[in-house]
Amino acid sequence: MDATVKSHFIGKDGESPARPLLLARPTATTGLMSWLTTVDHKRIGFLYGAFALFFFLVGGVEALLIRLQLMVPNNTLLTAEQYNTMFTMHGTTMIFLAVMPLSAAFFNFVMPLQIGARDVAFPRLNAFSLWTFVVGAIILNIGWFLPADRWGAPDGGWFGYSPLTSRTYIPKHSIDMWVMGLQLLGVASIAASLNFIVTIINMRAPGMTMMRLPVFVWMTLVTSFLIILSFPAITIALVEVMMDRLFGTNFFEASMGGMPILWQHLFWVFGHPEVYILILPAMGIISEILPTFSRKPLYGYPIVVFSGACIGFLGFAVWSHHMFTTGMGTVATAAFALATMAIAVPTGVKIFNWIGTLWGGHLQMRTPMMFALGFIWMFMIGGFSGVMHSAAPADAQQQDSYFVVAHFHYVLIGGSIFALLAGIHYWFPLIFGRRVSEFWGKLSFWIIFAGFNITFFPLHFVGLNGMPRRTFTYDGNMGWNAPNFIATIGALILGTGIAIYFAVMIYTYFKGEKVGRDPWDGRTLEWAIPNPPPEYNFAVIPNVHARDAFWYEKHHQAEIEKEKAELSKAEEAHGGIHMPFQSIWPFFTSCGILIAAIGIAVLDHDPRPGFWGWKVGTAILGGVIMFASIYIWSLEGNEGYHLHLDGEKGKGHCHDASPAKH
Amino acid sequence: MYLPSLLRSLGRMGIRVLALASPLFLTGCDFFNAIWRMDGHQSTIVVAGPVARAQRDLFYVTCWVTLVIFIIVGAVLAYATIKFKARNAADEHAEPPEQGHGNPLVEISLIAASVFALVIIAIPTLKAIWYTYDVPEAEKANAYEVTATAYQWWFKFEYPGEPIENVGPLSTSNELVIPAGRPVHINLRTVDVIHSFWVPKLAGKVDMIPNRGNRLWLQADAPGYFWGQCAEYCGDSHAVMRFRVIALGKDDFNAWLAAQKATARTVTATAAAGQPRAQFAALKEWKRNEPGYTDKYDRPDLSPLDNWKQMQAPNPNEDAALIAQGRKLFQEKTCIGCHTIRGHEGVGITGPNLTHVGARTTIAAGLLENNPEQLARWIRHPDQVKPGNKMYNGGYIDVKTRKPNFTLTDADVTALVAYISSLK
Repeated sequence: MDATVKSHFIGKDGESPARPLLLARPTATTGLMSWLTTVDHKRIGFLYGAFALFFFLVGGVEALLIRLQLMVPNNTLLTAEQYNTMFTMHGTTMIFLAVMPLSAAFFNFVMPLQIGARDVAFPRLNAFSLWTFVVGAIILNIGWFLPADRWGAPDGGWFGYSPLTSRTYIPKHSIDMWVMGLQLLGVASIAASLNFIVTIINMRAPGMTMMRLPVFVWMTLVTSFLIILSFPAITIALVEVMMDRLFGTNFFEASMGGMPILWQHLFWVFGHPEVYILILPAMGIISEILPTFSRKPLYGYPIVVFSGACIGFLGFAVWSHHMFTTGMGTVATAAFALATMAIAVPTGVKIFNWIGTLWGGHLQMRTPMMFALGFIWMFMIGGFSGVMHSAAPADAQQQDSYFVVAHFHYVLIGGSIFALLAGIHYWFPLIFGRRVSEFWGKLSFWIIFAGFNITFFPLHFVGLNGMPRRTFTYDGNMGWNAPNFIATIGALILGTGIAIYFAVMIYTYFKGEKVGRDPWDGRTLEWAIPNPPPEYNFAVIPNVHARDAFWYEKHHQAEIEKEKAELSKAEEAHGGIHMPFQSIWPFFTSCGILIAAIGIAVLDHDPRPGFWGWKVGTAILGGVIMFASIYIWSLEGNEGYHLHLDGEKGKGHCHDASPAKH
Repeated sequence: MYLPSLLRSLGRMGIRVLALASPLFLTGCDFFNAIWRMDGHQSTIVVAGPVARAQRDLFYVTCWVTLVIFIIVGAVLAYATIKFKARNAADEHAEPPEQGHGNPLVEISLIAASVFALVIIAIPTLKAIWYTYDVPEAEKANAYEVTATAYQWWFKFEYPGEPIENVGPLSTSNELVIPAGRPVHINLRTVDVIHSFWVPKLAGKVDMIPNRGNRLWLQADAPGYFWGQCAEYCGDSHAVMRFRVIALGKDDFNAWLAAQKATARTVTATAAAGQPRAQFAALKEWKRNEPGYTDKYDRPDLSPLDNWKQMQAPNPNEDAALIAQGRKLFQEKTCIGCHTIRGHEGVGITGPNLTHVGARTTIAAGLLENNPEQLARWIRHPDQVKPGNKMYNGGYIDVKTRKPNFTLTDADVTALVAYISSLK
């Protein structure tokens, strides 16, 4: 759709007609209500980030407990059950509650700014995604606070291999909560991804063709497609487990003829694209940071974009490399081994092009650049050990050993986390208008870099020396003591680095150096606006003339200023800046889901029959709240108000046919 | 919920770590060397059979190819970072460099080079996939067949080629004895959740999945004693689900088979020539997760295989009366319901077959050394050794009411240990 299409409303808004209480739109701009009812992509992005960082710290504490337990052989810090809970929740938390939502935070905050949009396509759906994510996180973690004998936190592994997750082997509700939590996180992710896809396809500023999109936006698009295509697989699998556990069906019950191997296929058809869901946004961030600090465009833009998409496609064709040891037979194993090797090519291409971007540039060694360069090095190591896994017979020795643990932590910490930490540093001035101190930023980088390598490099060796993963203890005569001891020391250093990083962030938020617009001499449109960004983002929707749109603007100032004045006049003539109304109903819908999920997954079985039991009653109550909220949500309509930059705020309603018409 | 106990444990652990670390600082060099060492009991690098060797050699191929690429790409990256780094503020604010967008020729040649590197890895990969999948055609006739069945948390091994009249195939647990120098074809089964069969020195792992007939093959070059472990997360005690593989020369193997096929050994007063003696001094209280091994496997004067061979001979100082009492207790305390002791009263099949358990080097699925102290520890507190196990949950206590089904006095334990140790 042409983003220049304006509302049919002309002139200033009049008084709004009186509306029934339930349909009255909230207008709070500060305080709790403003956050609960917000539909502003920037506020939602901020909330995603805040929740993600909280769970990043929770997952980090779980990781430290795991490492402390393994510091010495035959340790008794944790019991077997506690340890199994820790590694299950560490994996689940880091993947679903830390890295994915942190990526979503950047998608939300940065992507609309980079394409010159005023919000995402469906602002209220965006709020619903956020609150449903929070509900999923609550359901996943609520077990920590419930008695361990019948609830407790989940301990079936983040991969939840059946039949271990069946009621025969884990009768506790912990698995119900794990299943339900993941299911809800899937709902949140799919809703958010559809929103991002529609936004990127429909709401680009005029002139922002697909091949002018910043690479981060491209990676947002590819990641969103991966999410909407891969999550249905795990949704089905989770529904089947839930049916097995609640209603006694036999999808995975081996004793009744179920097929546990089916779970693995469904899980990894989701699980491998999930790996790229975690790493592609990181690659997008790196592809923004390197050109900015090299003061050069990204080397080989089309091929970087194409290889990103290619990784997305191939990501669906390699799931069984997680199953090389399940006895798939020779031909299937060979096919998946070769497909896995093939994926190294587009990944390698990205690395070559990043180096090409550096080549001939004027590299400014700011903290985001340090993290970005650290990313390339660490991701290379993780990528190479990944190639080692693709050789299936060699993988038979490495699968489920600490070698794999080392491999994917190089990809996920050295890769995803480094890039996300770089992104926080890079966009901090945009989000908060303050810049993080270079000294403390670089110090935290070096401590994190050193701690990370001290932790995970030795694990390659202990893995090749035969130490299996997911083991709460090991004997002292296996030759595993030294690497484990060093790894734990490294983990403590890494934890210190992360603590410094966040302490500095919090300090900067309150007391950091204030910076003006565009502190890094950026290249993309998000730097064209003041910081922190106003709620309407762009006073004037820009016309895009080149790939690095803002860089072009800065080097053609006279021409752009003339153009902007004209665009501004045209926009005002069409009624000013259109903004969507806030709404509480996405939040209430998620609350309904929370209550229903507690009924289904958390409450114990009740001897009373049918609707009168607490379990069924609560589930129905939650469902009613959810449907009622969605109904009112749809009744309140997609209306908004107009802003006029002369300072007056229009109070009336405008009736647009589509929320995309801003 | 876990917090108070966790804090206490952290404090205790701090003391342990200091105690453990102090000698490490003295021998710092050895310690740091130990990080890179890959010659442990479960090494995938120092291997002892053709399958593991094929897997290791393939790993070396991937290692060398990626190492060469890493050095080249890393050198270019390091060079670019150093060479193009802005030296000072003036440098940073200099005229921006040429805004170039890339060179297709460079891209295409790099892609071609990557594909070439992958082909170097792909060819041996394909060869190894077919080689490791099944016993080579020429040796099929010579292959020996075994069936391994996984339980939460132990392994049963059956020998389909060695039937025992009116019983079925020869069955043993947790210590798989195979002929050396012959391919061994292992059928992999499970009765509950997914497990994985892994003897790193002999072969990579293959999973044991319900309703799925998996298998693997391996071969030991020479007689030896090998460590194995379950490699797929299978619940509470996954970490302590271990086993051993003992490869024997032809004659030794046949002798072992003959001994195993015999019914359980009964010690009578006349058979015990020596002076009756207590099996061990006193029952020790073991802490949870305390090491269950001694230096027996790491002694220069006694190889683990020789140690295994020594275990085959009966203890000369057996107390026949005590053993008879243990046998009676084994029946009274309902042990027989789960454990088979062929020729004696035990008939159950839920737990490991104990007909010749005294001749094994380990108990509790490869976890504890088979000596009277560890046996007593295992019998007294199985839940502390292997959390969640069925001997305790269902055997010792009723799972629903959590009330004990029976009690064991110290004297009972001593007698049971004497009986079980006598089952050579």
